[in-house]
Amino acid sequence: MQRFTKKELALYNGEDGAPAYIAYDGNVYDVSNSFLWQTGRHQVRHSAGVDYTGGLDQAPHGSDLLERLPVVGILVDED
Amino acid sequence: MVEKAGVNVEELLELLVKNAAAELTTFYYYTILHANLIGLEGEGVKVIAETARIEDRNHFEALVPRIYELGGKLPDDMKVFHDMSACPPARLPKDLSDVKAILKVLVEAERCAVRGYTHICNITAGKDHRTYALASAILNEEIEHESWFSEFLGEGPSGHFMRQGETSPFVSKFMR
Repeated sequence: MQRFTKKELALYNGEDGAPAYIAYDGNVYDVSNSFLWQTGRHQVRHSAGVDYTGGLDQAPHGSDLLERLPVVGILVDED
Repeated sequence: MVEKAGVNVEELLELLVKNAAAELTTFYYYTILHANLIGLEGEGVKVIAETARIEDRNHFEALVPRIYELGGKLPDDMKVFHDMSACPPARLPKDLSDVKAILKVLVEAERCAVRGYTHICNITAGKDHRTYALASAILNEEIEHESWFSEFLGEGPSGHFMRQGETSPFVSKFMR
């Protein structure tokens, strides 16, 4: 399983043809093929390449929706 | 005034246009789904699918004036509008005789709409009263649609009643 730091994750923002990944609770999910994350944006204000642990509490849905997405790695601390 | 109240109008407009796109495309896809709800199982679902179809079109029509009031507009190109939808296309399942699969498409579309309008309510509450009232009215109807379909999927009783009389009891006041 590939390991990503937050800095590395930020490169996967879905812009200019880059894959779109997001992190939640230690897992990194590939949202590139999700209709709801087209061009790396979700609901206008959320961008790919970001760790949404904590932030998902503000969303009008739970983490269960992430189960539909492929896990491509884990989020690790810098260093 | 809305901007002054703390709402990012550009962001709100994009959300409203994307949700208007979801409503109109859903109206289109529901028309095809409705046409395929046939046979002993399908005919039972047809009535609620038809109500949801008409009400989603009403939602589109109710959203459009608010988009223009806020200084926004709809895209010139229908294809662009379709592709920017806030929800995935509610396409027919491969097996047209599989009523349960059609119901799953319908319930997923409604759940996406519920999430979308909850989001709009959250960012407009106490700041943009008119958009909040509209999004809240639409949300009430989307929740009912979702409950009708989820009951047919055997997810338990919702406690909601079928429509009596006119469609869009919550949204119709925005369409006069």
